[in-house]
Amino acid sequence: MEHFDILVIGGGAAGIAAAKAAVEAGCHSVALVDRKPALGGVLLQCAHRGFGAGLTGREYAQTLLRDFPKEVRLFLGTTVLSVEETKIARLSGGRILSFEQLIYAAGCRELPVGALPIAGTRPKGVYTAGQMQERMNLSGVLPKGPVVILGSGDIGLILAAQLAARDISVTLVEQKDACGGLSRNRRCLEDYPIRLICSQTIEILRGEDTLEGCVLSGGEYLPCKTLLIAAGLRPDRALLADLGTQPWLHLCGNCNTIHPMVEGVTAEGTKVGIGAAITLRRRENAEETAGEWMRQTVPPPQSVPGSGAMPGSSEAPAR
Amino acid sequence: MKPVDAAVIGGGILGCFAARNLRRWSISTVLLEQAEDVCTGITRANSAIVYPGYDNKPGSRKGEMTVRGNAGFDTLCQELEVPFNRCGSVLVTYDGETLPRLWKKWEQGVQNGVPGLRLLTGGEAEAMEPMLKPGVKAALYAPSTGTVNPWQLGIAAFENAVKNGAIPLLKTAVTGMEKTESGYLLKTTGEDIFCKVVVNCAGLSADRVQELLFPPSVRLHWDGAEYLVLDKQAQKPGRIVFHQAQSCGKGITAIPCVEGNLLISGVRKPIAAPYATTPEGLRALYAQAMDLLPGLDLTQVIRSFGAVRPNPYRQTGESIHDFCIENPAPGFFSLMGIKTPGLTCANELGMYLAEQTAAYLGAERNPDFDPHRNAIPKTEDPEIVCQCEGITRSEILEAIRRGAATVDGVKRRVGSGMGACQGSRCSFAIEGLLEEVRHGAL
Repeated sequence: MEHFDILVIGGGAAGIAAAKAAVEAGCHSVALVDRKPALGGVLLQCAHRGFGAGLTGREYAQTLLRDFPKEVRLFLGTTVLSVEETKIARLSGGRILSFEQLIYAAGCRELPVGALPIAGTRPKGVYTAGQMQERMNLSGVLPKGPVVILGSGDIGLILAAQLAARDISVTLVEQKDACGGLSRNRRCLEDYPIRLICSQTIEILRGEDTLEGCVLSGGEYLPCKTLLIAAGLRPDRALLADLGTQPWLHLCGNCNTIHPMVEGVTAEGTKVGIGAAITLRRRENAEETAGEWMRQTVPPPQSVPGSGAMPGSSEAPAR
Repeated sequence: MKPVDAAVIGGGILGCFAARNLRRWSISTVLLEQAEDVCTGITRANSAIVYPGYDNKPGSRKGEMTVRGNAGFDTLCQELEVPFNRCGSVLVTYDGETLPRLWKKWEQGVQNGVPGLRLLTGGEAEAMEPMLKPGVKAALYAPSTGTVNPWQLGIAAFENAVKNGAIPLLKTAVTGMEKTESGYLLKTTGEDIFCKVVVNCAGLSADRVQELLFPPSVRLHWDGAEYLVLDKQAQKPGRIVFHQAQSCGKGITAIPCVEGNLLISGVRKPIAAPYATTPEGLRALYAQAMDLLPGLDLTQVIRSFGAVRPNPYRQTGESIHDFCIENPAPGFFSLMGIKTPGLTCANELGMYLAEQTAAYLGAERNPDFDPHRNAIPKTEDPEIVCQCEGITRSEILEAIRRGAATVDGVKRRVGSGMGACQGSRCSFAIEGLLEEVRHGAL
């Protein structure tokens, strides 16, 4: 079993920022685990501009990683199987790590079609938007058109623009009465012949083996070969399900709350990274101070009234 | 292909168990399945319940087989290395009108020999399952009820049948049938098959398969039910909860599955299209689930699906309530419209068919029969492909080696894609592995 003062789970924007900040704040025993073989998380599959100052997701990740501290021990292509109350994490491949502070930056996951009250059959050709984005941008495989996208938020719009630019017919279906998403992403509706249907949702899927079309709540039938679900993101905290709140557990990024912009994710990662390092330092100080105080003071601590400055307490004196 | 003793038509769970049990005797056996994999039809969409046996009339085939099948499930699942959870069940009723149904089931259960059956007061039932809506009038507790994954069990039986020498012929549909001097000739989409005995386990099509050679006797009418699957994290009852709704028909059922998910099964009703759900049906199911278990978190639903059941009717229009096993000519056996509790009785029905076949052929016991099948072992491979369920690359490759031909086939063997993301993070990776194996790269 290897020990690290801080363990970061997740190597996306939040995890990268947190690990960097923790080292900068003086913690030199940091490990980061990510299931993918490279750092960057979901940024790596984002080929569109809109990150930081007009960068693509990949470029933004490269910028973040430019001065990534070498002290951070990386476990890539590795999945965390469980986190236990005794402050240990079990990794795929049988490795076990112990830690003092855990920064959880595992991002979010998309709502699958099954989570939505959509009836009909369960044919092939239905994917989540992010799943298709990864496929398109990392493997270069395009979905079969015509494509229907459920949800006109940023993710839906970005995908629609990308598909339309490749001459694939796209229809966006939006439950609300107007298109969601940032205005810069809405521009694709003017640039391309993308049909937007508002105030409706998809009610029924048709097709036995492969998707043939979908029926909208208004009754219209849209023939399509691919349906992409861009209906929402959920913080991914599956690993923490049995843990409850722990004083050593810190969440940042989209597993904490869904951020509309990557800058918010990075900022939160940085803040939490510094916070975890400070917590560690404070405790070291408290232990040192308490040790000195013990040497100097007789009788032992329990006879001292109002001993608020106990090791680990938030009132411990700062150096 | 050289002539065989027995041809099993249909690779659902019933056909797989028929083939497995036929090999307990020295009966050469082929198993024909029209799809590219076994257990892709009715078996795939099932309530996963191992029933205790109080629903059926004393003396009926269903009643006897269910109690016997249930009692044998621990041994069966040990032999086939399939997880089984004898979680127990409570059948609850909220209105006085349905109480007589409860008494009747209790009496039937006692007569059928269901172990540990107990009537509970409403308070006792609510204490046992605190998620239940208050106001339970009475309940029937059955500790022997259990859950098992239907397709895992079917695939395990299939693997065991093949291990014992049954020959699988996948992507092979029967298109015609003739009587020969020594038995039957099956015309298929592949090669012709000469056999002495036909065991028809064709599920939804069993009536049409029999009618390839015989005049119509039983007609199958399909109906179905809708289901919701909740994430493992969702709060769930500890036992299976059956709701005795109106004086006729069953209400919804909540099933805490062996995998840890909660399955909610809706009421049976006529269906528009096989395996399809309807918007009205799903809406009703959401509402009924919340009514029975008000604490349920339906934002944890990760999948909904439709199931199909074949219901057997005589030509006169009379419904057949017991298991219908037709024997229209010597050496020809048909399972007609086996529905609930078909999963509980799958091995029993297979045994029955094998015994009948063995008696007809005068076959000897197969001394080399090995009832044991090894499950796909969990590995400590660092490469996890399915993040939600922690399924490794080597486990997936083993599933492919054992016959998974599609992402779904892999799912049915190792459980990949069954988690909260429903395969959105792993299905392309698994497709890639299937592709690599197909092209000999792995």
